[in-house]
Amino acid sequence: MPNPGTPSRTDYAAAVEGLADRVLGALRGTGDPAVDPAVVASQVDEAPDPKVALAAVRVLGPDVFAPALLAGVPFGPGDARAVAESLRIFPPAPDAAPEAAWRDWTTVRLLARYGGGSPDSTFTDTPEDTLGVREPSPPGGTGGTDSPASPGLSWRDLSLSMAQLSPLALPNVDGPVHETALSRLRDLSRGTARAMLRRDYPTAARLARWLACALHRGAHPDLDTAAVVRHLELHCGGGGRTALDTAVARGLLDRSQPQRPGGPTA
Amino acid sequence: MSTPRTTAAAPVPVGRSAHRVATRALGWLRRHCELGTLPPGTTSDMADPDSIYKPLGETALAASLVLREGLASAQEERTARELLDFAWWELRGGDMLYERQLRYMMMVDPLELYAHFVRAGYRHRRLEALLDHLGGLVTMDAVEQVPNRRLAVANAARLTGLARETDWKRLTDATWLGNTPEPWVIDWMTAYCVTHTVFHITDWGARPGDLPPHLEEYLQLWLPVWLDVWREVQEWDLVTELLIVGSCLREPYADPVLWEELASVQHEDGLMPRDGKEVEGDAAQRFRDHHHPTVVAAVAGTLALSRAAER
Repeated sequence: MPNPGTPSRTDYAAAVEGLADRVLGALRGTGDPAVDPAVVASQVDEAPDPKVALAAVRVLGPDVFAPALLAGVPFGPGDARAVAESLRIFPPAPDAAPEAAWRDWTTVRLLARYGGGSPDSTFTDTPEDTLGVREPSPPGGTGGTDSPASPGLSWRDLSLSMAQLSPLALPNVDGPVHETALSRLRDLSRGTARAMLRRDYPTAARLARWLACALHRGAHPDLDTAAVVRHLELHCGGGGRTALDTAVARGLLDRSQPQRPGGPTA
Repeated sequence: MSTPRTTAAAPVPVGRSAHRVATRALGWLRRHCELGTLPPGTTSDMADPDSIYKPLGETALAASLVLREGLASAQEERTARELLDFAWWELRGGDMLYERQLRYMMMVDPLELYAHFVRAGYRHRRLEALLDHLGGLVTMDAVEQVPNRRLAVANAARLTGLARETDWKRLTDATWLGNTPEPWVIDWMTAYCVTHTVFHITDWGARPGDLPPHLEEYLQLWLPVWLDVWREVQEWDLVTELLIVGSCLREPYADPVLWEELASVQHEDGLMPRDGKEVEGDAAQRFRDHHHPTVVAAVAGTLALSRAAER
């Protein structure tokens, strides 16, 4: 019999969706900055069980910085404290999958940017305080075939891995995973088409972020990315996280040169 | 990755899987061809041309390609020749095609069926005279057809040696594939249109160079995705047709793992199931339901073997 005092899976899932909705609101500018100045901090402070809310912060990872990176929404000291606290309460597992390790590493680096240094500081320095998060081995490097996006991965496996890495697909965030996304754009286009055909819109939205991210960096995906994103927007399925992934993709697209629709490999 | 990867055994080479699929399918077609006999007294006015008449043409297609590719054993060649003789006999040596074309001038199936026999050396002079005459009529260019059907007619006319002018580019540009559309919008029926567009442009893999480069590029990119999606839902008939498309490309696409899977899906007696549903019924029912995918399997295996042998 479940203990009434212990949060259930449903509570955690609801907290993740709730935070995703709030981040989405901030990204779209529908939140009221006067009332809701600190998205992450408020979500944690107002939660009936702050621990559950902090777990949601861990799940969203780098995405809690999306409004700051895409829309210039302030990321305050309270937000930074909440993110740091989430990493202390839920430290990364030493045997975490490479995708989780990359998400954590990116969160820590963004935290260093928005917590300590100036928001304009470059994103290549290793933060001094990594909160116990280790720097993952580069994708396709010495980590062998278990590294995300290693060269030997088929387009399908690569796409599944990169979908899990989609919170890294943000503007002004760079690293080896982004290099992989650019060098294997063709395979990510295939993965996106596959997800769309399977009506797996959550995966499609995650991969569409990488295509939009590539466009943002001046590359040319093999799919008409704007058409994919528009279709996902109209579909509106998949819950708060998919809506957030779609909105990030839209944000990246709106900050890119328009892609010529159609063409040989539409 | 979160899930550990196991090192699977190396897949069987494509050529071996393809040969197995083709040989077994051809054997099944030969052993069951008597189930595809036109009822006595059938005339060109047949009420249901799809039940026996068109399958005769499909059998002839598979057998003619086995002979064309020239890689079959003496036994398989004999089987292919027997299947062609059987189908030609059923069509009364081509008279049935002639009568049907004379009665129904706008129908394109007599020419399409005839072309498969021409490929294997059969001829019917009066039918060719009739086709020549009809080809000169304004109506031939004005028939209301889906675009890939026009390509089917053009390829059949090319094989038969009819003096018709064909603007291949215009016909190709009118198809879904010719527009290289968003690959994630494709549906089941349109996927069949894509396969047939490629079959007719390349005459079932005989002219891979005739596929325009931008279509080659498009198919190299998206064919693996479509194969993956329809393999997952076990649409074996469509998967096998898409594998034929892989053999029609300048740079053939053949995934050994998928070929091995297809060989394992095929029944020991050679029947290729249409999809993942249970194969049911008596021999006649099975023939009706699975004749088409088994023809497709014979064609796919024959062409994949041939392309693998080139390498």
